[in-house]
Amino acid sequence: MSFLPLATASSMHTPVLGTLIVFYILAIGFLGWKGWKKTTNQKDYLLAGRSVHPFVMAMSYGAAFISTSALVGFGGIAGQFGLGLLWLVFMNIAIGIFIAFVFFGYRTRRMGQMLNANTFPEFIGKRFRSNNLKILISIIIFTFIPLYSSVVLIGGARFLEEVMMIDYSWSLAIFATVVAIYVIFGGLKGVMYVDALMGSVMIGGMMLLLVMCFVKLGGVSSAFQELTNMAPLVKERLPEAYALGHRGWTVMPETNSVWWWTLVSSLMLGVGIGALAQPQLAVRFMTVKSSRELNRAVLVGGIFILFTVGSAYTVGALSNVFFYRTDLGIASGFRNLLAIEAAGGNPDKIIPMFIREALPPVVLYLFSLTMLSAAMSTMSSLFHVTGSSLGHDFFRTVTNTRKDSMLITRLGVIFGIMISLVVAIILPAGIVARGTAIFFGVCASAFLPAYCAALYWKKATLAGVWASIISGVAASLFGLIFLHRKEAAGLGICQAIFGKSELISAHPWPFVDPFIYALPISVIVLIAVSCFTEKLPQRHITRCFKKK
Amino acid sequence: MFGLGDYAITAAIVLCIASAAVCVIYGAINWNSSDDSNGVDK
Repeated sequence: MSFLPLATASSMHTPVLGTLIVFYILAIGFLGWKGWKKTTNQKDYLLAGRSVHPFVMAMSYGAAFISTSALVGFGGIAGQFGLGLLWLVFMNIAIGIFIAFVFFGYRTRRMGQMLNANTFPEFIGKRFRSNNLKILISIIIFTFIPLYSSVVLIGGARFLEEVMMIDYSWSLAIFATVVAIYVIFGGLKGVMYVDALMGSVMIGGMMLLLVMCFVKLGGVSSAFQELTNMAPLVKERLPEAYALGHRGWTVMPETNSVWWWTLVSSLMLGVGIGALAQPQLAVRFMTVKSSRELNRAVLVGGIFILFTVGSAYTVGALSNVFFYRTDLGIASGFRNLLAIEAAGGNPDKIIPMFIREALPPVVLYLFSLTMLSAAMSTMSSLFHVTGSSLGHDFFRTVTNTRKDSMLITRLGVIFGIMISLVVAIILPAGIVARGTAIFFGVCASAFLPAYCAALYWKKATLAGVWASIISGVAASLFGLIFLHRKEAAGLGICQAIFGKSELISAHPWPFVDPFIYALPISVIVLIAVSCFTEKLPQRHITRCFKKK
Repeated sequence: MFGLGDYAITAAIVLCIASAAVCVIYGAINWNSSDDSNGVDK
């Protein structure tokens, strides 16, 4: 993902930004050190001692949830296709925060404490009394998470490269090293303290960005009206986007069009619902002392999502007005251009270009820190969950080690970071947004039915959960390899076996996200298999669902 | 409304603000509540 052209770096007063970043890294180092000092045992390392402050918990949850991909990648998509993406903001708040905390958080915290579970795989494994299930989940996590952590890593490293004019390979190494240090030593406490700082920077930066954007464009109604008036330009200037169903930036895409299916199936539903079954987010419910902390975190979390992603998508769409109108103090070179035209066809550049051209340098500096925060906070959470899955859940269970798992988990974190670095080097350009959507979709299809059943369905069986997870992953992979055009064509496996790029070419199947059929398959399999297989002992179920 | 061209977009904006408001109200009402009655069954 490319953010700013190299020429921009010089106009950004690199020494000022460099000094800011150095201070910022020192603050991160201090918080990581604080986490390290307070980490004395396995529970501290994996669950932050189950005593995290609600503000830290909420900001950490939000900062881990919202990555560079959401702010710049999806913000740029809003610049290209419009405000329909605001439905994803609604899903993020309603499902990713409210339903996640109120309907999943309380039970996860209580049941996790009852079962003495320290990680997401351990939680599901203990709930269904199976170490092998724990191993299966940890394998799925450390197989798919490097895809997501590496795309976030690429985003952060590209940003450092272009803003600080550092070679990409060095950017990758510096970025991974800074995050690695505070994750390895600080454990989840270090991660959550740093996330809280980063979350605060993100919300401040994005709120300022939204306000400055409306000020620049003459107010809320005026800005939206201008954007609405530009709708005829889609057909005239963007015929390819028009053919995909794009009808303007303040209207929904044409129903059943390619863009409509992408918006609804991949973004709204895949990413929106997928947030519920993210292992790195679910584990945060187990870090707090009581439900009171979760109640307070709901308040902070809702505001956080509204102002971070809500701002990014609104600003992304409105940047079209800025780039098109000529009386807004536009920098030379931009005149009568749509946002995607000004960005040279790369939606990832829309938001940074708008900030660079339209707003004062102070906003650019703050936005630079916001971007680094978004990338680092998500990466640290992913590295931590990869390390705990690999070290605590997989290696310790397979080798039957009973010792405190801190050292093993730290080694797992190092291994996870190395894998992510390798994947980041291998992956092609332009995979950031798609990599995110794939990861969210696979997580939802594999884990969501099992996670729901663990919390709510006493009759769910171990065999049912096994079958559900395997069928969810299998259906997702089948869809990605043989049905969904973007991945199927890119991988080329379907072409090699069947001589065509996708198995079903009839509209809309090549554009329907695999999540749409993989999740229902996983649910049906869970219910069907659970109805005909051996139930868990009543005593265990009573213990799991017991109130204190 | 607000110069937007589609009720579906207006609805999305209203729902974003309303859902954030629900989070704020829920958090404020239950600020000191540590009762897990909405948690695990008996």
